[in-house]
Amino acid sequence: MESKNNWKAWLYLAPVIILLAVFTFFPIINTFYVSFLKNYDYMRGTSDGFTFDNYLLVLTPVLKSGPGTMFEEVMMTALPNTMLITIITVPLSIIISLLIAIGLNSIKALKKVFQTIFFLPYVTNAIAVGMVFSVIFDANTGIFNAIFNTPLHTWIAPAFGVQGSTVNYWSALFALSFYIIWHSLPYKILIFLGGLQNIDKQYYEAAQIDAAPKWKTTLKVTVPLLSPQILYTLITSFIGAFKEYNSVIGLFGSEGGKFDKTTGPSSMKTMVYFIYEQIGKNQVQYACAAAVFLFLIIMVFTVIQFRVSKKRVHY
Amino acid sequence: MEIVLKHLTKVFPGNPKKNIRDTTAVDNLNIKIKDGSLVGLLGPSGCGKSTTLYMIAGLKQPTDGEIWFGDEDVTNLAPEKRGIGLVFQNYALYPHMTVYDNVKFPLTNLNVVKNKTIQKVVDNNLIINLLENNLDEILNLIKSSLFKGKYSKSASARRIVFKYHVVTSLAEKIFKFGLQYSENPKELASSIVNKLKDENSQILDKFDKKGVRYNKKFEILDETGNPVKEKRHLTADEIDALVQETSRLVQINDYLERKPAELSGGQQQRVAIARALVKKPRVLLLDEPLSNLDARLRLQTREEIKRIQLNTGITTIFVTHDQEEAMSICDDIVVMSLGKEMQRNHPQEVYNNPNCLFVAKFLGTPPINVFPAHVEGTELFVGQDKLLANKALSGKKEVIVGIRPEGFIYNPKGEMEFDIKSIITQGRDMTILASHTSNPENQIKMIIDSSIQIPNGKVRFSIKSTKLFVFDKETEERIYLD
Ligand SMILES: Nc1ncnc2c1ncn2[C@@H]1O[C@H](COP(=O)(O)OP(=O)(O)OP(=O)(O)O)[C@@H](O)[C@H]1O
Ligand SMILES: [Mg+2]
Repeated sequence: MESKNNWKAWLYLAPVIILLAVFTFFPIINTFYVSFLKNYDYMRGTSDGFTFDNYLLVLTPVLKSGPGTMFEEVMMTALPNTMLITIITVPLSIIISLLIAIGLNSIKALKKVFQTIFFLPYVTNAIAVGMVFSVIFDANTGIFNAIFNTPLHTWIAPAFGVQGSTVNYWSALFALSFYIIWHSLPYKILIFLGGLQNIDKQYYEAAQIDAAPKWKTTLKVTVPLLSPQILYTLITSFIGAFKEYNSVIGLFGSEGGKFDKTTGPSSMKTMVYFIYEQIGKNQVQYACAAAVFLFLIIMVFTVIQFRVSKKRVHY
Repeated sequence: MEIVLKHLTKVFPGNPKKNIRDTTAVDNLNIKIKDGSLVGLLGPSGCGKSTTLYMIAGLKQPTDGEIWFGDEDVTNLAPEKRGIGLVFQNYALYPHMTVYDNVKFPLTNLNVVKNKTIQKVVDNNLIINLLENNLDEILNLIKSSLFKGKYSKSASARRIVFKYHVVTSLAEKIFKFGLQYSENPKELASSIVNKLKDENSQILDKFDKKGVRYNKKFEILDETGNPVKEKRHLTADEIDALVQETSRLVQINDYLERKPAELSGGQQQRVAIARALVKKPRVLLLDEPLSNLDARLRLQTREEIKRIQLNTGITTIFVTHDQEEAMSICDDIVVMSLGKEMQRNHPQEVYNNPNCLFVAKFLGTPPINVFPAHVEGTELFVGQDKLLANKALSGKKEVIVGIRPEGFIYNPKGEMEFDIKSIITQGRDMTILASHTSNPENQIKMIIDSSIQIPNGKVRFSIKSTKLFVFDKETEERIYLD
């Protein structure tokens, strides 16, 4: 394009750029800025100058240590929780949705019906579904205990009417992961189905002529040809998992759960949970420091994924 | 492998609700294909060629009829059990795999029955043989792989593999001996040879001690002295050997590390053929393999297909809608129309003796000239011109006459008069565009020797009787003259 006409392109882009500047770029920069302010008051916009203390308080035991400090809340609870959720739910949800998508793609009858059924969770509210799950996983009356014959096993909250009943952290993590995976399947299935329908049928005919067994065709033909979609869901679900919050509220209520301390962190609070909590306590500077920290983690992970995938993704 | 199609029929069901009628893609096809021959399925677009091929491959289930490979009925056999190689109309190479992996893929699924061999000893002997007899050439090969001051392992291996027909792993082993870095490679080579000989005798000693017998090829023998068989997958080395052998055959050695997208159409096609051939199929099926190529490459690759087919002796079915292609390389052609076989014979015979108007029109470039004609008694007329008299003709009826472009001879006393429109000289031949009074709209093309002087205006020609065919106007069947 002629460089003289560039202003036209900019003109067309202007609304988007202005919106992005106001609602994305400015908040990001401001978050960085606030994270270095001492005693920031967000109502008046005043502070007592620059400091690194916010980071030291949130991320290290240098200034304050011991139980109940922000360092413990982030490093002993929120970060491990977030990491575990990510490591468990991302690969599992991708593998399961891939298998379901491949299954759906290979059936002819009732395909549309199943597609709709599998898409339903996506259009239901996360917190509402979380409440339903907390009923399912209820220790006394939950259907989960009934089906798997584990009476009074506590998943989310202590059993009612049982003295000294506590919740094992790993049981809670299982219930949460179960819920997150279930809730994230439909979107991924949709993406994968779209990708699968674009794969030329002849590759499968060729593989059949070459006497490749089904599993091999899936592994050597389908998955590589679906790799752009897999990378896309991998990155978006990594980011989504790092930002997990709704599901914790939905399942464990606004306290984030209360677990047996000897089995792991005492609650299921996540990084974003911590950030919101600090905002609620009027400590925006700590929320900002934690947000910057989370931003950096996500960025590093995303860059690594792009690097690694460069060789494995076939566009 | 002889292939026989018996009453082969394929009907694609329509949809009455949407008012789509059933399509009979293939209609009662009876064809016998001789072992080791190259047969062309020829016909216009949509006449059922691909469908026939896919039924032979097993990817489409026939509605009716049978398919036999030799004396085995394969009609209901799964495609993977038929032992066929198929080259798709658009190649269908796996885009994410290198050429090497594409060609290798069919082999990784094969089960083979082989003689059990002491492979290590065989390999060592191969190396010993190479080092003793070809040391200087091998060193030259490795040294010529110098790139940016380093000897390249993969390039050296590729060269050694190409020259000595050994497997890649063995060639890499030779590279790793480090002969290329040695001050005195001869000495190093002989010490390696000695070491390998030691290793061999140790291995064989162990077998001797255990009382295991083996023959000169180091195949393990059972009590009766016959080689012991084992059923297994191919080893990496065996796969490599087959891939190398096949890629040499179709000349794709230089592109083995590339992805299909980085190849030209002709190269992709050869890769597709290699993938189909590598497992040594009983039957090779090619679906319009040349349709994506430019004219020159098309010529070249069709010769190559013929060469490969001759070298391997594989029964091959070749689908095309290009009659010239079929004529030039096929042993036999089957001309199809609307799912039916119209004629089947040697290409030249089909051209010389078409049995119906469709076949006559379909074969030949430029196409045959068609004239409305009529028979009066035993005489044949085109407009006012009397062409011939023949006992096979009788009565009074309308017929169609076809004359090949090369069937005209300039002759002032000839039986047909044409109005010459233009003359195009093309080297040895010239093409004359003309019209005949029987149907002035109809453009007639003649091809005659360019050394002949043709006046302008109305000119008379006589007709070669072997280039003239008469067809019934209703049935379009040939009326054979005596
Ligand atoms: N899956 C299908 N469903 C319905 N009709 C089909 C189907 N596949 C092919 N046909 C029809 O069968 C007929 C033969 O098709 P086929 O693909 O065998 O033609 P072809 O001779 O290979 O043509 P081309 O030279 O264009 O490749 C066509 O009329 C086509 O419309
Ligand atoms: Mg076709």
